[in-house]
Amino acid sequence: MRLKWVRLLVPVGALLALALGLSSCGDDNGGGESPATTSVPKEFAPVTAAPDDAKTGGELKVLSAGDIDYMDPGGAYYTFTYQVTEAAHRTLLGWAPADVEKPTPDLAEAEPEISDDGRTMEFTIRDGVRFSPPVDREVTAADVKYAIERANLSGVANPYGQLYFSDIVGYDAARKAAADNPTGGAPVISGITTPDDKTLRIELNKPKVAIAQVIAQALSLPISAPVPEEYAKEFDAKNPSTYGQYVAFTGPYMVQNDCVDESGKVVNEDCSGELTGYTPGKEIKLVRNPNWDGEATGDFRPAYLDSIDIQEGFTDTASASRKILNGEDQVAGDFPPPKAVLQEAAQEGEPGQLQLPELPGYRHISMRTDKPPFDDINVRKAVIANSDREALRDTRGGPLIGSVATHYISPGFPGFEEAGGYEGPNLDFIADPNGDPELAAEYMKKAGFKSGKCEGSECEVSMVGDNIPPGKDTAEVFKSQLEDLGFKVDFRPVDHAIMYTKFCSVPAQEPDICPNVGVAPDFRDSQVLLAPSFSAESINPQNNTNWPMLDVPEVNKAIEKARLIGDPEERAKAWAEVDRLVSAQAPAVPWVWEYFPIIQSTDVAGVVNLYNASWDLAFTSLK
Amino acid sequence: MLRYIIRRTLWSVAMLVLCSAVVFAIFYILPTADPAKLRAGRAADPEKIETIRKSLGLDDPKYQQFLRYIGGVFTPYKNEAKGVDGPLDFGTSIFQNNKPVREIILDRLPATVFLVTGAVVIWLAIAIPVGIISAVKRRSLLDRTTMITSLAFISAPVFWLGLVALYLFANDVGKLNDVPPFGIDLAIFPGIGSYNDAETFGSRAESLILPWLVLAAATAAIYARYLRSQLIDVMSEDYIRTARAKGLSEQRVIWRHGVRSAITPIITLLGLDIGVLLAGNAILTESVFNIPGIGKETVTAIGDSDLPLIQGIVLFGAFFIVIFNLIVDILYAYLDPRVRYQ
Repeated sequence: MRLKWVRLLVPVGALLALALGLSSCGDDNGGGESPATTSVPKEFAPVTAAPDDAKTGGELKVLSAGDIDYMDPGGAYYTFTYQVTEAAHRTLLGWAPADVEKPTPDLAEAEPEISDDGRTMEFTIRDGVRFSPPVDREVTAADVKYAIERANLSGVANPYGQLYFSDIVGYDAARKAAADNPTGGAPVISGITTPDDKTLRIELNKPKVAIAQVIAQALSLPISAPVPEEYAKEFDAKNPSTYGQYVAFTGPYMVQNDCVDESGKVVNEDCSGELTGYTPGKEIKLVRNPNWDGEATGDFRPAYLDSIDIQEGFTDTASASRKILNGEDQVAGDFPPPKAVLQEAAQEGEPGQLQLPELPGYRHISMRTDKPPFDDINVRKAVIANSDREALRDTRGGPLIGSVATHYISPGFPGFEEAGGYEGPNLDFIADPNGDPELAAEYMKKAGFKSGKCEGSECEVSMVGDNIPPGKDTAEVFKSQLEDLGFKVDFRPVDHAIMYTKFCSVPAQEPDICPNVGVAPDFRDSQVLLAPSFSAESINPQNNTNWPMLDVPEVNKAIEKARLIGDPEERAKAWAEVDRLVSAQAPAVPWVWEYFPIIQSTDVAGVVNLYNASWDLAFTSLK
Repeated sequence: MLRYIIRRTLWSVAMLVLCSAVVFAIFYILPTADPAKLRAGRAADPEKIETIRKSLGLDDPKYQQFLRYIGGVFTPYKNEAKGVDGPLDFGTSIFQNNKPVREIILDRLPATVFLVTGAVVIWLAIAIPVGIISAVKRRSLLDRTTMITSLAFISAPVFWLGLVALYLFANDVGKLNDVPPFGIDLAIFPGIGSYNDAETFGSRAESLILPWLVLAAATAAIYARYLRSQLIDVMSEDYIRTARAKGLSEQRVIWRHGVRSAITPIITLLGLDIGVLLAGNAILTESVFNIPGIGKETVTAIGDSDLPLIQGIVLFGAFFIVIFNLIVDILYAYLDPRVRYQ
């Protein structure tokens, strides 16, 4: 089983492309403390700064269960992949360990200059940043331009470019040209220009500062890692592109290739750049990039380690976790310890061995609001009131895997506090995390069921969920909670991907209940948490993300209003209001704001990247 | 004999073509995951998916796709004009860095071959003597002990046995350290993932000791029981009595006349088992011990719904099974004089 947490549990659809008013509020970077609003127990709080006396040198051994999705930064999208790309590439903006709301300038000298009318934005590329061997030349703005343009090629398979960049002038035309001629090279996007070697100018269709802010955030993703066209076009002429086997790097580390040895020293001048340090499913060997000069080129990453050896395929995560905890290996890459080992780590581990960064987003159980029996709001309220959300959370590992959710904006997102914080909105049916059967019975009576339990043929409901734990366990527990309320549940367990693509995201097929859905957005903006799941605009015949099929004019109006607000404070309040309206409609059972438990051995000074909820390899050192 | 081999080889090729057709039908005609959607990623829009579908030729008629596929697999040379990189051009993995499927399979094959070879040696080294001794010393304490033990190993699932072996004997997570009364360390075998760290032939062999034993355990037990019952049957045949009446030594009777005859069905089993294991059926052993072989790759490919890779592995597996069947048929005829090359 391939264990990995993907950036998006749901395809957020074109809504993100319309993310008109992404907030860029937040504090400056730095600091070694977790955000103030967190439910993470203090002893497991993630460390986000290296110790003052961090040692340099040595090799870090990372164990992983699965593999990255693509080595090519144009296609990279898994969280685990980001662990590698963050250490090996410089993007225009990057995420320092403590960044949660706003990225830090990396390849760009500073945040983009956005014109007053919001029509153009300009990045200035830092001097002295060089590609790894065999390219060996300084990065220019044209390399970033090409990186964005090549992402349109079908052979690169970038999944999110269109979501964020469709407001760039000429983007759609370039996309169409790429579709018509997949191996004809990356079509030029007319709205991206390079007046000189160091300036990248982006022109937008719509004069809105908020759109520019969305695009700026998207340029912190690996798509903006520079790609040297003269070197890559040979690989991009193939479909699929083979650039992933010959990637040129700009970060402190690079995947070992045929130019360098295990210490990152150039040993072969006449090399092709073919990656020798990556065998899919087996190993990724990161060595020092000999052309990286962090201090001189303004890189915020200290890069203490000499090399990083990622060993893959540890699908028995219990054994792998124990190896790490007892010091045989050093850090877990893509897997949390299974429940039993997690408890051991919490109880018997040394301080710092277990850390619990919070994942952005939430898990919820959706109820189909457009057909009986859940078209009756009182029935939905009864279901939520009856649900024991702590029992649901226990199916994934209990308090160590997250806090019980009380609404939809999750901790760390703008509007969380305004929407009620951890206590949640003042709604009786969501107040008790262990469920309140008496209150549930009252709501059932209000819905016309005199006995307080569901009766009759409309109480036969369908549910499609995961076929393996922990998702299946969650579904089974929720099923029994529904049965307590009198429902007869036809539960169909299927593969997680099939659950989305064939059932929960296809309204024609959609079951009454989807117990294993969740949202995990790319950025910390409440719009991407709420709009895809609860706006009527998100209801689609395919790739539907509004699983409850909620279509309430008041909610839709509030969403439209909130997405146009640019001022951070006002925006947070507006989305909190949306959250309150949605919560009052009881379309789903929000049940957990998750952590991602990660472990390390005692000889590692691991630093957590909060944005990615994983170890930051460029900040981690050995003790 | 040559005609027999040629005829059987032609049949084998026909079988492989048939397998290709069945595998193609399973993955491309019957409803399964959509390769275009998988390549496009989770958040891709329908337009992008259609572009990819078109660019990969997935919108062509199915028969054209099949002919292209079969052409790639069986064309014995590279033909750039037709976009074929034969032989064994199974296409490109959807994940796995867009690498050719053939390259991935060939990269994984040595680990599986090493694992299977070692396990076969061990299970034959255990099963043959145990089977013979049990048959010859029928109903003795030794016979009963070995047969009960073999029943226990047959009943133990491989993944369970693998995990138990790791938790007891592995030098990283194993518990059998400082075992009383003499304080002996029994947790001395390289543990999970050690094959990846091993660089020399010797260290690789050392890292496979536990996997070999685990993989061999159940099969050795089955073979021992099977050989025992075969040999018991054979030893009651008339020609054995005749051999004894001719004054041949008991040892010669057992080995020359008994075992040679009793072992022929074992050869059939062995051929099939080797073929099946090389085809990826060491899946559990490879997964538990994190050995990067064909079986482990199968798990990954299935987890990713990486259809070209699954298809390639299945077809490659079919190749091994067909080849080992052919070898078995030839060997069978050689070992058993009653079988003729017809």
